[in-house]
Amino acid sequence: MLVIEDVSKSYGQTPVLDGVNLAVPAGRIMGLIGSNGAGKTTLISIAAGLITADAGTVRVGEGRSASVDVASDRRRAAGLVGLAPQELGVYPMLSVRQNLVTFAELAGMGKRATRERVDAVVDALDLAPQLAQRADTLSGGQARRLHTAMALMHRPAVLFLDEPTVGADVAARGAILDVVKELAREGASVIYTTHYLGEVSDLGADVAILHGGSILLTGSVKEVVDAHAAPSVSVVTAGVPPSLPGWRPSPLEGGHTRWDAPVESRTANPTAVLADALSRLGAGTTLEAVDVTPASLESAFLAVTGQRLSAEEVPDVAHA
Amino acid sequence: MSPTRSIAIARTTARLVIKDPSVTIIMIVMPLIFVGFLKPSLEAQLQQQGYAGVSGAQAGVPGLAVMFAFLSIQTVCMIFFREHFWGTWQRVRAAGATGGELVIGKAGPLVIVILAQMAVVFAASAWLFDYRVTGSMLALGLLLTGIALSVVSMGVLVVALLKTLDQAMVVGNMSGMVMAGFGGALAPTSTLPAWAQSIAQVTPTYWGIEGLREVGLDGAQVADILPALGVMGVFTATCVAIAAMRFQPTDTKVGST
Repeated sequence: MLVIEDVSKSYGQTPVLDGVNLAVPAGRIMGLIGSNGAGKTTLISIAAGLITADAGTVRVGEGRSASVDVASDRRRAAGLVGLAPQELGVYPMLSVRQNLVTFAELAGMGKRATRERVDAVVDALDLAPQLAQRADTLSGGQARRLHTAMALMHRPAVLFLDEPTVGADVAARGAILDVVKELAREGASVIYTTHYLGEVSDLGADVAILHGGSILLTGSVKEVVDAHAAPSVSVVTAGVPPSLPGWRPSPLEGGHTRWDAPVESRTANPTAVLADALSRLGAGTTLEAVDVTPASLESAFLAVTGQRLSAEEVPDVAHA
Repeated sequence: MSPTRSIAIARTTARLVIKDPSVTIIMIVMPLIFVGFLKPSLEAQLQQQGYAGVSGAQAGVPGLAVMFAFLSIQTVCMIFFREHFWGTWQRVRAAGATGGELVIGKAGPLVIVILAQMAVVFAASAWLFDYRVTGSMLALGLLLTGIALSVVSMGVLVVALLKTLDQAMVVGNMSGMVMAGFGGALAPTSTLPAWAQSIAQVTPTYWGIEGLREVGLDGAQVADILPALGVMGVFTATCVAIAAMRFQPTDTKVGST
C-alpha cells in the first residue's frame, strides 16, 4: 500500500508539486502520466525517500498503524520500496549477477535467498544467459531489463518504475510488463510512469494524471476514457496561418503549425469538424497533414490537461 | 548506521577495484621504476649523511611510496564520482543507504587497497633493491596505515567539497603532488627553503616519510614514530570532520570528464 497525502515541493521559487494526493492499494498498478516537467520524477523521488517534500507525507506498507512514514523512517521504508529510476543505473564493470547481488546484499538478504532470487529474477526477465556477462556488454534492452531487475531483488511491497521501457526493445518491454503484472499479482503496489499510454492499458493499470503539480484525476483506464475521452482532430499547416477560431496552435519543426480542435467540438462528428477546418484554409496556407484520433487515454489526457502528452507521443499524421 | 549496508557497499567497491586494478598497478610499478634509476644517487646522498654501505632504496622507497599513495587520491575520487556517472548513487541511496554508510562502504576498502599498494612497493623493493627494515615491523605497519588513512580521508574531503570529477582530479592530484614535495618525497626536506620546511611540519607526507626512513635506516620503534602517527591522526580527523560537515549524499555530482 502506498499513500501520498498533500505532498508539495518547490525548487527555489518554482513550485513542482502542489498538494498531491494519491493512494495505490496492494496488488494494484498505477500508471502515473503527465507531460515532461509535470513532476512525476520529483514525486517518485519523494515517495522513494531520495528527496524530502516541503509538506505532506508518504506512507508505505499495510494499514495506517503498521505503515511506515518514508521521510521519518527511511531505513524501514527502504526495505519496503523498490526504485528503478528513469536514468539507467547499473554497474557497467560488474556482471549481471554481481549487479543483482549488490542490491540483495544492500537489503540484507542471505546468500541462499539471494541465489534463489537472482535465479527467479533473471528467469522472469530473460537474462539467464547473460548472468555472467558484464553489464557494459549488454544490449540496450538487456541493460534496461537488468536495471529493472535490480529494483525487484528484495521483493518490494511498493515498486516505483520511472519510464522503465524507455530505450527498451520490444522483447525487453514485453518482459518488463509481464514482471510488473506478476509483482502486482503477488501483492505489490506499483507506480509506473510512462509516455507510452498503451502500456498503461496493457498492464490493466489504474491511471493518475499529474498536471501542474497536482493529480487532476485517477481511475481505471475505462473510467477515464469513458468520462473524458473524445475523438481528437488536428491539422498541420504551413504558410499563412489559417483562421480557425478556438483551435489551439502548436509550432512544429520546419515552420509547420499543428492546430488542435477545441475540446468542446470533439463530441461532434470528428469528420464534420475536420471538414469545417479544411473549408477555412485560405490561399497561401498549405495543408501538410490531418489527424483524427479516436477516443483514447491520449485524447482523455488532452481533454483533461489541454496538452498532448509529449511530442513523441503524437501519432504519425496521415499526410494529406 | 547499518553495518549490513556498509559491508554491502564495501563489497561492491572491492569488486569494482578488482575489476579495474590498472591504477593501483601503476601506483605500484611507478615508484619501483623511480627507485631503480634513483638508487645510485640516493646511495651517494646516504653516504654523505653517514649511512655508508646502505642501499639507496632505504632513502628512496619511503618518499616514492608515500608520493604515489597520495596520488591515489584520484582513485578515491573516481570511486565516488563514477557512481554518479553510472546512475547507481541514487539507487544505493534508495536502498536505504545513508551518507555515512556510503562513505564508510566506499572509503573502507580503499584504505586497504592503498595500504596493500604501499606494502607491495616495500616488499618488492626488499626483493629488487635490497631494501631493509632495521626498526620495528609493527611501526612500519602503523605508519603505512596512518598514511593510507590520510590519503583516503583527504580524498573523501575532495569529494565532499567539489562538484565535478574534473575538479576533483585536478585538486586531488595537485594537492597530492604538492604535499609529497613538501614532505620530502622528491628531495630531502633539509634541502628545501626554510619556509618550505616550516610548511612540511604540518603535512602528513613529511611525518610519514620521516617515520618510514627512521624505521628503515635508524631502527626506529613504535615509540619513536608516535609523533608521526599523531600528526597523521590529526590530519585524518580534520579531513573527516570537514567532510562530515560538507558531505551531502543528495548533492548532484558530475561524474564524467
